[in-house]
Amino acid sequence: MEEKKLSGEESLKLISCMIYEAKGYNAESGLGAIIYGFSILIYAILAYLFEIKKIDFPFHPFFLMTPVFFIQGWVQYKEEKKKKEKTFTDEAIDYIWTGFFLSVIAALSVNFVNAGYIIVTIILFLTAFAVFITGLLAKFRYNVICGVVCLFIAAVSFFIQNVNNLFVDGNRCCIGVNSGLYIKSSF
Amino acid sequence: MFKDLDPILHSQLRLAVMSLLISVKKAEFTFIKEKTNSTAGNLSVQLQKLKEAGYIEVIKEFKDNYPNTTCKITQKGIKAFEEYVKTLQQYLQVKDKGM
Repeated sequence: MEEKKLSGEESLKLISCMIYEAKGYNAESGLGAIIYGFSILIYAILAYLFEIKKIDFPFHPFFLMTPVFFIQGWVQYKEEKKKKEKTFTDEAIDYIWTGFFLSVIAALSVNFVNAGYIIVTIILFLTAFAVFITGLLAKFRYNVICGVVCLFIAAVSFFIQNVNNLFVDGNRCCIGVNSGLYIKSSF
Repeated sequence: MFKDLDPILHSQLRLAVMSLLISVKKAEFTFIKEKTNSTAGNLSVQLQKLKEAGYIEVIKEFKDNYPNTTCKITQKGIKAFEEYVKTLQQYLQVKDKGM
């Protein structure tokens, strides 16, 4: 960039151009979302088979998700390190997903009161909320649509408070995998 | 009565850097260099001037065993930038009315 005397119009043009440049940067690979999506699918199938006693497990298949959280966290950490800048939008999205995971952990306490499959509905609502807000903040229409679809699935899930609710929960995999693949092909 | 435009900000590269930093929380040196299309030497000099004015914070650290410089706008920088844009708008409004 050459140094030259700026006119008023040139200064304003430069400011808006640079602000636009900063906002247009995105380095997501979508891998985190794909891992999340497939792990939900595997968990939903295993949990269903476990609940109808088709397979035997020494513990509930839900606990298989624990290492997945760590792997996803590691992938996310690696991607954060690759980024050359951090926008306020990135920061807000990080807070939303931190809030999401804390809310899910808090919601798991419902298991202690033997409330059946309501936990699936709660997680679906939390996922819908987080995906929807992420989509709005990142101006990523695909996530906004996924969020609305997930809200609809969550509402349906209220009426299926039995083992089949796990099938409904499995739908979350589509949101993760599709978003991930879409991001992967876009950036 | 018009205020004078801040001479620190009224330079093409420094203004470009401030405009970038106002929209992000922090940015690496390579990112700023790439977006402003400037040379490393010139950018370093301008960053130093902005740092001396207290408009930005320059953080030098190591990333994967390589030195890495990150820049962040300060509260003083945000205030100066807002003031600069406000003054600029006043100039342009008067210019438009005069036409």
